[in-house]
Amino acid sequence: MADQAIRDRKLVHIDQPKGRFRVHRDAFRSAEIFAVEKELIFAKCWLYLGHVSELRNKGDYLARTVGGRDLIFIRSRAGELVAVFNTCAHRGARVCREKRGNAKNFSCPYHGWVYNTEGKLLSMNAERGFPQDINADGSLNLRRVPRLEEYRGFYFVSFDPDAISLSAYLADAKGFLDVMCDQAEGEIEVLPGEHAYSIGANYKLLCENSYDGYHLLPTHISYLEFLDERNQASGADSAVAFMLKQYAKQGRARGLGHGHAALESWVPTGRPVAQWVPAWGPEIKQEIEATRARLEQKFGKERAELIADVQKNMVIFPNLVINDNVGFTLRVIEPTGPSSMRVNAWAFAPVSESPRLRALRLDNFVSFLGPAGFGSADDVEMLELCQRGLDHAPLEWNELSKGMNGEGDPRTQECGPDDEGQMRAYWAQWDLMMRGASAFSGS
Amino acid sequence: MSELLQSRAAIEEFLYREAELLDDWRLPEWAELFTDDARYDIASLDSEDPAKADPATSLFVLADDKTRIVSRAKRLMKKTAHAEYPHSKTRHITGNVRLGEIQGNERAVRANFVVYRTKGDKTVQYMGEAHYLLVANDGAIRIRRKRCNLDLNTLADQGRLTIIL
Repeated sequence: MADQAIRDRKLVHIDQPKGRFRVHRDAFRSAEIFAVEKELIFAKCWLYLGHVSELRNKGDYLARTVGGRDLIFIRSRAGELVAVFNTCAHRGARVCREKRGNAKNFSCPYHGWVYNTEGKLLSMNAERGFPQDINADGSLNLRRVPRLEEYRGFYFVSFDPDAISLSAYLADAKGFLDVMCDQAEGEIEVLPGEHAYSIGANYKLLCENSYDGYHLLPTHISYLEFLDERNQASGADSAVAFMLKQYAKQGRARGLGHGHAALESWVPTGRPVAQWVPAWGPEIKQEIEATRARLEQKFGKERAELIADVQKNMVIFPNLVINDNVGFTLRVIEPTGPSSMRVNAWAFAPVSESPRLRALRLDNFVSFLGPAGFGSADDVEMLELCQRGLDHAPLEWNELSKGMNGEGDPRTQECGPDDEGQMRAYWAQWDLMMRGASAFSGS
Repeated sequence: MSELLQSRAAIEEFLYREAELLDDWRLPEWAELFTDDARYDIASLDSEDPAKADPATSLFVLADDKTRIVSRAKRLMKKTAHAEYPHSKTRHITGNVRLGEIQGNERAVRANFVVYRTKGDKTVQYMGEAHYLLVANDGAIRIRRKRCNLDLNTLADQGRLTIIL
């Protein structure tokens, strides 16, 4: 049971008449609060597990850590997708030691218990000594994760058997995922390769950062200068200067319900679907513009613009980032303590994409994103500077008031692209859940 | 065929000089070691065969053509390259240099490396095998390809890869 004293603390302070929204810094640095988050948030919410394209064949599996729990995500020999805890029912050993692969069954290296790809116990590697019907109730099978559901091929688990459906949980984030997936004329897939790294900061600092339009210029000026030089080398005007003038006037950030939120903005990085930039050369222009024309035909001008031109950064509460900007990336943030996290990120792309657009997409991705990118690494530095500052000064509040407007639920409000309403949507949900209040609608 | 590429001493001296430029943060000079058609790549750390992985079909940690090699060097010298401000202290150790066949004016060379990076009070290390394709041009050795295959599964200890290996 969560410590009542922590549940009763007012860690999020909202003063709508005065336009102030503050978060207590203990939310980023307290071991006690982190323990409560594990119980009241990570054991209750839907957490991302993997994408359907990662398990194409029967017997394919992935071993992943989700919300601190070691899981195996398997396409069973019967073709069903299942998620089980990666621990032998006998004495606890991890039964799957590889990160991914294809298996006929899973056998525990310790005493040789064997499970099939649905987790059913096949053998205890013993001729005698156990009651005949010891597994009659299935309790010695690999334990299934209580809930496994998907939306458009994105699979999530919940450790709460009574959780509302994934569909209800995702609320308006579903519509946003649709926009991202609709860039593909067919399916999307996870590309080979991943970025796996750590950050010495509270996981919520990366959530805040992942859709923060306000930090773009000071944090990423060196990336914008790189873009500008690249553009000018190809004889184009400074698209970046234009963008910076326009940034706050176009786009928006908005809450999508249940703590999810998204930023829509315009940054001329170029996008394989479907925004050509001069630095990519004239040969590929036609292909990108043809894709764009097909999108307009299929979805109409407005939605095509949202798919093709708008940079989309979304955080699905509490720890999943799906961005479609310089690349189409999914980033899972796994907290490992109050001031540390692991990050795993993958690249998504339309399955039917041409080889040269695929190459361009990947090149664009690593130019900014990941531990050696011209952008992400500077974000990481900012988060570690924040953690350092939060940990080493006796101050109480972080200020998240930019663009506060109106009354109502911060979880569904809209603000400018360089405001902080998206973070307020996140924190309002966090606050409800940490106080044990009713935080979900739908079933 | 170039005499330079026949000489182990000249090749090793070249690799040591590259390491020195990096440790001295003379990065624009380092970028000049590369040919105009050069690449500097680091495959995903979970790649099953990082020597053969292709940045056009799989996600790399770093995949630079010459333009971006130059941009990387230039950017890292700025105070606004926040991840490397203040600059890390680095020490590149290069060893186990193995020379491949000479083909025309090119020679494949492999070397083991360890790079120590200290920022603030934290020191981390990056270790692996570097695959070079060296070329002799106008009496000097240049790098046409450099691919660093790290003996790491994740950057859990290192966090980031903002220095040049």
